[in-house]
Amino acid sequence: MGYEISLLTFMGISIIGSLSLNLITGFCGQVSLGHVAFVGIGAYTASILTKADTPFFVALLAGMLLAGTFGVMVGLASLRVRHDFLAITTMGVNFVFLGVVRQQEWLGGELGISSIPDPGFGKLGFLALVIGCVILVALLSLQIRRSWMGYVFEAISGDEDTARMLGLDVSRYKLIAFALGTALAGLSGGLYAHHVRFIFPDSFAFVESITLLAMVVIGGNGSILGVIVASALLSVLPQWFQFIGDYKLLLYGSLLFVVMRFSPGGLAGLAQNIFPKSKKSIVLKENQ
Amino acid sequence: MKLKKVLSLIPALFMFFGIAWADTIKIGFNVPLTGFAAADGESALNGAKLAVNQANASGGINGKQIELVVYDDQASPKEAVPIANRLIEKDGVKVAVSGSYSGSTRAAAGVFQAAGIPYISAYAIHPDITRSGNYVFRTSFMGEVQGRAGALLIGQTMQHKRVVVITLKNDFGKSLATGFKAEAANFGIEIINEYEYSIRDRQFGPIVAKVRADNPDAIYASGYFFTAGPLVNQLRSGGVTVPVIGQEGYDGEHFIKIGGAAAEGVIITTSLDRDSDKPETVSFIAEYEKFTGNKVDMVAASTHTAIKVVVDALRKAGTDDPDSIRQAISQTQLTAATGQISFNRIGEVRKNVQVQIVRNGEWRYHSTIKDKNILAPPES
Amino acid sequence: MLYFELFLQGLLQGCIYALVAVGLTLVYGLLRILHVAHAGLYTLGGYFGVLVYNSSGSLILSGVVAMFGVGFLGVIIYRLCYEPILDQPPYVPLIASIGLFIAMEELYRILFGSYGISYTNPPLQKMLPLGGLYLREGELVTILVSIILIGGLAWLSSRTRLGLAWRATVTDPQMAESFGIDPIRVRYINFFIGSALAGAAGMIVGILNNLVEPTMGSVPSYKALAIIVLGGLGSVRGTLVAALALGVVESFGTIYLGNVLNRDAIAFVFLILVLMVRPQGMFRGV
Repeated sequence: MGYEISLLTFMGISIIGSLSLNLITGFCGQVSLGHVAFVGIGAYTASILTKADTPFFVALLAGMLLAGTFGVMVGLASLRVRHDFLAITTMGVNFVFLGVVRQQEWLGGELGISSIPDPGFGKLGFLALVIGCVILVALLSLQIRRSWMGYVFEAISGDEDTARMLGLDVSRYKLIAFALGTALAGLSGGLYAHHVRFIFPDSFAFVESITLLAMVVIGGNGSILGVIVASALLSVLPQWFQFIGDYKLLLYGSLLFVVMRFSPGGLAGLAQNIFPKSKKSIVLKENQ
Repeated sequence: MKLKKVLSLIPALFMFFGIAWADTIKIGFNVPLTGFAAADGESALNGAKLAVNQANASGGINGKQIELVVYDDQASPKEAVPIANRLIEKDGVKVAVSGSYSGSTRAAAGVFQAAGIPYISAYAIHPDITRSGNYVFRTSFMGEVQGRAGALLIGQTMQHKRVVVITLKNDFGKSLATGFKAEAANFGIEIINEYEYSIRDRQFGPIVAKVRADNPDAIYASGYFFTAGPLVNQLRSGGVTVPVIGQEGYDGEHFIKIGGAAAEGVIITTSLDRDSDKPETVSFIAEYEKFTGNKVDMVAASTHTAIKVVVDALRKAGTDDPDSIRQAISQTQLTAATGQISFNRIGEVRKNVQVQIVRNGEWRYHSTIKDKNILAPPES
Repeated sequence: MLYFELFLQGLLQGCIYALVAVGLTLVYGLLRILHVAHAGLYTLGGYFGVLVYNSSGSLILSGVVAMFGVGFLGVIIYRLCYEPILDQPPYVPLIASIGLFIAMEELYRILFGSYGISYTNPPLQKMLPLGGLYLREGELVTILVSIILIGGLAWLSSRTRLGLAWRATVTDPQMAESFGIDPIRVRYINFFIGSALAGAAGMIVGILNNLVEPTMGSVPSYKALAIIVLGGLGSVRGTLVAALALGVVESFGTIYLGNVLNRDAIAFVFLILVLMVRPQGMFRGV
């Protein structure tokens, strides 16, 4: 069962990561191309702490806090730059994070951090923890979407200027989106670090940010269920496709392209076309 | 009725194939076949396949044929961990080899160690790989060891004292530089400056200009063929004529192809001596070329060696009990293409460093480094 | 002298960046798409160049094939990939483009091998002694070609009817259309020219490095994005300045800051600093 357990654990960690990005990009419409940097902050923080004998959950929480703090700083940047500029700025954040981590010996430098302590839950126990976190994050996302916060996020996502004109505190809510999204990314990172028990800069390379964004967009930007399904599939796709061997990445790239080209609403959009249902939330966009 | 008949055959088929499968011995193998490391992955896979073919041709393991179970890990720890689990559980391997880079090997090593399955790192250099535990071994040099050898080579053998270090910013380059710097002073080397570059860099104009201004006696540059080739080219075009000393990352024909005339005279520390008259080395070089149509390189040679070590241990152990296999590996005394292989307490290899030089577009013998102190891997 | 050399090397790198980034900013200016697959076209230019040269020995022929072949492919990519999804939110063509780029890289690896291809008889390798400077023919040609191509683009844009139609379409597509300008034709030409420039850049880099690899587009794929943002999205002049500036910043940065940050991080720190001061980039784009 160890193989299936490790796959499911990775799946869960990826889902948490993409749901966290979904809060920022899907709900609030702020495209982030550097999200994995916050996963990394959570991972490095938690690892350094547990290696210094900090209790696991405390370390995890610290990772989330630090990631969220840096997230707010990036959120502040989002108040200054918009849309495509913001996307590229967040990409820059990813590279700067990597650049810093690669140089600092106390962060492991190029060699990364090894022998991260086992939290001691056993494989199945750890999987249960991850699944528990997935459920919590999914419920949190659902709750946000239904709440006033979710309404403001959607308004900002639709048309920021109009939202501001309506008297909504756009700046504050953008920062909240970043804070929440990046903190949850930190959670994903802390869990990842204690599952693989070895992290190094390449684990958080720019290509991983793209993977997270792809999961969100293929799921259907904003759709919680869609993102969960897309993450689950995409995270273990390379393992399933082992038999394709040489053509694996080719298939992955083509898949991204084909989905965006023919079903830009992602899986959620596809589902909507097959099973049309009434809109659940109040939207500030034009009539559909 | 007919369906029932067909269905009843199925268990028989399973039994048949089950018996047939039980006649092969499986060696697990993770290697990057797609992604940025695909070139080295291809070499590693070829080296491994050749070793398996040769072993099978000479009777396999006590009569049973060897099967290489290959998975593509894209040189990513995230992929390597499930692959390790899959090899252990689904494929039931009792021993495995990594043909991949440090990140994925390190992650997988943890899994193999916890499961008590012996695991050999063919060429990944991260020091903590063998520190995963007593089930993990490494058949290639640690970065630091090779770096120290480089200091001996430049300071003592070649008698160059003013050196500029150009370091590849990854675990390989950094650990080489660490080893070099640790021993440099002992051989009278003054490191004038150190410059770092990223694995994706191919244009070194600024570094070349600065190095020329530094005016060193020699350059110690870490990298792989796809960085070292352009670097050496640009150094020569930039008017820098002093010797360039590299490491096994250069080892292969592609460096010479890319570097062209600039590759002449470049010296590297490595494990493969093309001019060797030892039968293992000679036969490996000849057979590899026949098998793949390519010339040999260090990655292929290291992986070939790792598989040979496994085969040798399997034959000696005579059982597929992982503990016995582990024991046999730890007691290895084997001559392979890359030298005399034996392991120390933590599974690090002890062997001489071969120094090769490019002459007339080919890698040729330059010297050998045998200093036991310099080459001693850590004991813990 | 050293500082001048570092500066010159920076300009050289900047020229290559410019050739790639200009195409990207042309596409953005017209369609607001971040055309990441552009880097895949750059790589293709490298392959066309080396393959045609290795079999024909003619630099001119290789250059023509590289530019025109890649130019045409760029138009095809627009037609098949972007045109149908122009009305979608911006992350759709972005992810589609990224998927396409990944697929292209893998296709090159499968078709041409993972080791890369080198020139069997590398052209433009001779050293030119210019005072105390060491410049290869290839490097001089790079600067010349960049000046010619981008200068040609500037001339085209400001002195021809085609250029006028183009600028009009970028500024106000509907107005331009009402004046009888065919927006589709403008787009085709836009993609053709931008892609041809990238193809030229790819071939040049292949010559300078004597190596064409499947993944050689990976750094330009995100670096060029940073450059066009730095310059002000959609502004060709801004992109030029940003490309050259970044080349110089990286050149000095790798020598003097190399032990603090790596090259990409230096580039992005530069970007973030500029954007904090001028959130719309150096020049005003679209």
